[in-house]
Amino acid sequence: MTSVSARGALTALCLLAIYTFPLWTPNLYLLHIATLVAAYWVLIAGLNLVVGYAGALSIGHVGLLSIGAYAFAILVGKYGFDPLATLIVSGTLGAGCGFILGLPSLRLPGFYFAMSTIALAMIVAEWSLALDGLTGGGTGLPVPGFNSPFNTPAGFYWLVAAIAGAVTWMTWNVARFMWGRALIAMRDSEVAAASVGVRIPRMKLIVFTFSGFTAGVAGGLFASLQSYITPETFVFELGLFFFVCIIVGGRGVILGPFLGTVVLTALPELVGPLAKLGSLFYGILLLLVVLVAPEGIGDFMRTAYERLQKRPAKKMPHPDPARLFAAIAKREAD
Amino acid sequence: MALSIAAVTKTFGGLTALRNVSLSLEPGEIHGLIGPNGSGKTTLLNLLSGYYVPTEGAISIDGVSFTRSQVQDRPGVGIARTFQKPRILGTLTVLDNAMLGGWPETRATFMETALALARPRREERKIRAYALEILAGLGLGHLAHLRANVLDHAEQRLLEIARSLVMRPRFVLLDEPAGGLTGTEIEQLGAVLLTMRDAGMGVLLVEHHTDFVFKISSKVTTLHFGEIIAHGTPEEVRRHGEVIRVYLGGETT
Repeated sequence: MTSVSARGALTALCLLAIYTFPLWTPNLYLLHIATLVAAYWVLIAGLNLVVGYAGALSIGHVGLLSIGAYAFAILVGKYGFDPLATLIVSGTLGAGCGFILGLPSLRLPGFYFAMSTIALAMIVAEWSLALDGLTGGGTGLPVPGFNSPFNTPAGFYWLVAAIAGAVTWMTWNVARFMWGRALIAMRDSEVAAASVGVRIPRMKLIVFTFSGFTAGVAGGLFASLQSYITPETFVFELGLFFFVCIIVGGRGVILGPFLGTVVLTALPELVGPLAKLGSLFYGILLLLVVLVAPEGIGDFMRTAYERLQKRPAKKMPHPDPARLFAAIAKREAD
Repeated sequence: MALSIAAVTKTFGGLTALRNVSLSLEPGEIHGLIGPNGSGKTTLLNLLSGYYVPTEGAISIDGVSFTRSQVQDRPGVGIARTFQKPRILGTLTVLDNAMLGGWPETRATFMETALALARPRREERKIRAYALEILAGLGLGHLAHLRANVLDHAEQRLLEIARSLVMRPRFVLLDEPAGGLTGTEIEQLGAVLLTMRDAGMGVLLVEHHTDFVFKISSKVTTLHFGEIIAHGTPEEVRRHGEVIRVYLGGETT
């Protein structure tokens, strides 16, 4: 069991590094990037259940992010709502819009569902441009920050990181209990899923609504971090970026998409030459992943890890009728 | 307690896949279903598991009809099935695949699961323990923590049976479970099916290995062009003139 405790220790060390980051960060710019990663991750962690587990290809989550962001900017900026309470409003609005979009469209086969999410992103973009009385139109809106103690860069980082941690914990729970198996069954074999009684459209809708909630919350955090939003902030490429983070990270895992988010957000910002070549960088990375590790970084690491362990010596299965009988009979007595 | 199919007809456009078929599957028996390719065996399985809806006729257990209920509702009435080509989730472990059969009894909601409340934890423990027992009984215990895509064909077949057993069904429908197995593996499969029968399950066995079917079934039904041409004990069906003519050929004479 040394490998389990080693993994536990490594996880604890990483968590410690993440949550003490403001104390040892070399500069505020890095802290800003880290906060951005955390805000993106709030959305991507929820989206991961939709894309990586349930296998529904949503590439328009930027629309839900935008809805949460504008709701936050308008309610806090114009009407003086409490920022923390408004996050819940943003999340609920995102969940509501996710539900309304998902109800008819989640029954569509993968590609057509992806199209409907693009449509959502486009509708929201046009809407935010057209309703200029509310959203400031093309000029945009200033977004206020949070109240003390979250009004400093470090305080805000801790707020976003805490929310990201809570969302990660929730998705991890969904993934490791029966729901996770049912979601992956939906993704990999609808026939197998239905044969054990999984209600596919209903479960997809629940997970999609949850991802709408996290997208809305992420929108509020993201808007506050940017301090000024315009329709240009929520370009379609951002929705594609969220999707790519999950694909690069790998489906059916949590750590992979997290690493994908960190790498894809931070690298272009931090490595000077890459900033100019942002799209090229994504393109090359995506191509590399699809060619070298089509199941994503997470799966690549898992496979490498499994290679280190040996398959038990090949041994023909020997059914044990007495034991099987006892198992079936015992359960029927329950 | 019997699963009964009463005067079922299924047509696809102008094609009649099943015509006026009736049979009943009792608990504690293995019922063999044989016939040439295209005779309607798999169509019958698909009607029983809800992929198709009969054009005419009714399907019921203990007189309670579920003729038109959906695939997802069949586990609830006690029906589980396996597939001609095993539907295994290759990225999950063997244990996870078997545990998937615990879904019908999972009551934990999404939010209860996300917050790791008592109910999902309790259900998880119970289903895991049961799946491990079933895997051990099927001789797959030593593979429980491997990814399912490294299993060989026979192991995958057994794993599908494991998943269906974890569903705690009253009736199990097996679609060519011996397909692609070696002689020894078929013998082991036979021992598993007999155990399921002895434990009180009704097993409907669709299979081309007729010797295997005759050996372990208590009743055998033969389909030909969507109609039942023979029904009875293995001995009766094996000697049935029309069955020999259209399906068995000279192999039993």
